[in-house]
Amino acid sequence: MENATLKTDFAGLTLAAPVMTASGTCGYADELAEFMDMSALGALITKSISIEPRPGNPTPRIVETNSGMLNAIGLANMGLERFLEEKIPILEQLNTKILVNLAGKSIDEYVAVAERLATEKAIDGFELNISCPNVKKGGITFGTDPVLIGEITSAVKAVCHNKPLMVKLTPTVTDISVTAKAAVEAGADALSLINTFTAMVIDIEKRKPVLANRTGGLSGPAIKPIAVYLVNKVYNEVAKDADIPILGTGGIMTVSDTIEFIIAGASAVAIGTATFMNPDAAEKITHGLAEYCKQKGISQISELVGSLR
Amino acid sequence: MQNEMPKKGQFQARVLSNQQIRRCYYRLNMQFDAFGSRLFEKVTPGQFLELDLSSVSLPAPSLVPENLKDKSTRPVMLRRPFSFSDVIVTPTADGPCVKVEILYCVLGPATVRMMSLKKGDPVNILGPLGNGFSVPDNLTHALLIAGGMGSPPILHLASYLKHHYPNVEVLSFIGARNIEDLPFSVRIGNFKGLVLDEFESIRVPSHIATDDGSAGFDGFVTDCMRHWLEDNPVDPATTAVFSCGPEPMLASTAKLAKDYALPCQVSMERMMACGIGLCQSCVVDTKTDSGGSEYKLCCKNGPVFDAETVNFHGE
Repeated sequence: MENATLKTDFAGLTLAAPVMTASGTCGYADELAEFMDMSALGALITKSISIEPRPGNPTPRIVETNSGMLNAIGLANMGLERFLEEKIPILEQLNTKILVNLAGKSIDEYVAVAERLATEKAIDGFELNISCPNVKKGGITFGTDPVLIGEITSAVKAVCHNKPLMVKLTPTVTDISVTAKAAVEAGADALSLINTFTAMVIDIEKRKPVLANRTGGLSGPAIKPIAVYLVNKVYNEVAKDADIPILGTGGIMTVSDTIEFIIAGASAVAIGTATFMNPDAAEKITHGLAEYCKQKGISQISELVGSLR
Repeated sequence: MQNEMPKKGQFQARVLSNQQIRRCYYRLNMQFDAFGSRLFEKVTPGQFLELDLSSVSLPAPSLVPENLKDKSTRPVMLRRPFSFSDVIVTPTADGPCVKVEILYCVLGPATVRMMSLKKGDPVNILGPLGNGFSVPDNLTHALLIAGGMGSPPILHLASYLKHHYPNVEVLSFIGARNIEDLPFSVRIGNFKGLVLDEFESIRVPSHIATDDGSAGFDGFVTDCMRHWLEDNPVDPATTAVFSCGPEPMLASTAKLAKDYALPCQVSMERMMACGIGLCQSCVVDTKTDSGGSEYKLCCKNGPVFDAETVNFHGE
């Protein structure tokens, strides 16, 4: 499906549509390819890759909440070597852009993964995961400290060749514009926001947390209004002037949710939790977005970006 | 690519009936559309589907069980996984027509909503998912053992074996906490005490065990099967154990099977968000060939595993 209206320039990448699938909700692509036309997507962001395989946390790893869910997967992944062997050949066949979500316990680990993957033709860019709330080392510990954000962003950027580096921000900071600015000043080509909120569900009979990890990241419609607000804040205070695109994410379930994010300042959105309910959610939203533009006489979706009055 | 039939997909079903069996146990029958019927034509016992219940409304307040009044107020977002207690494939001129039966227990916000499903209602389904039980080539004796809500796929397996493997002798052991928790129609038989109609009707003998002795064997279903094995020698080369139930019960079954050198398959259960390998939440701790352990996905690599490969953890 080629649609000129939806075509989007995002940090130097030409996306078929401003819709991606969020990391951790679309596997390594092959799982999802059975259910939808991947070429309709702007890009797919892979499950996190770390240099060594990670088993992840014990179960239960998820629990449903009011209009949302908590997950504490713990960056479970197959590790760089198996990813290169097993998944790169599959990703090469896909007719969509592929961004790899990078995870690590130290700056060196992030750099090693990015450096190795930067030379792979199948990989179009990176998302730096410095906002995972479910691991003890790395993850969110980087994402809340502006100095560390600067260090890790510039170190990884230096090995990305010409591939764009997007930094994924956590909402659990006092002022997200401070962390956004730190990433942009260190060379980030794009920002993605928001990651999940650290949260807890308690089994009142056992007086124990439901999740084995005790806490998990809250996602889904419950966080959407906060995500829209934070996207708008970062757009106004950092991204607009720096001319850095934002990937908006957080509880997007529908076409109108997507449009809200774009009006707030996102150049593209990522669909996450919605894919768990309907594997083709991102494709349906993309088609709906095209229909919306047609009805409203919008010739280029980018006209809507940051159009909040 | 276009002409290739996918292995799983999303499709619509219509509710045929939704009946209360006893207390909190219900039987839901559905007919699949043409696409769903083609997907499910070759389904095997132990595979499962995911029901979208997000737009199913709550039953009238007076019908919501007292203990769920609080829980049921929570909206349901994620799909819910169910195995089948029966699958009927009818060939027609336009391809197969599949009807599926699900046994469910009302215990949370999703299953409370299922109570309100009635004849003709549309339901969105994702499936068939996972890998079912596999039948060894030289099987002559199948020992089926289920605990509580692990019973539905075991009933499906019983009728599947009867239909596709008429020469295999099938025997079932069904356990529950008490007589009220047996998710079947329990009837007083003519000569042999209590019988389960569902197994009786397909001519599969069933041994009942209840933890409190309110029906059948007084104790765990695994002890019931151990007693049976003590009295009835079986040939490990042609006998296999198939099991579904709570994890501690599966662990005991695995141990029992090992004591008698019997191959054993267990169907595991995990909380899952997607059912198709995306969310990575449903991991099962398994043994690797090199003596280590690794997580496998219940939805994709299971839910049926060789018992020898599973590191069981009691809940």
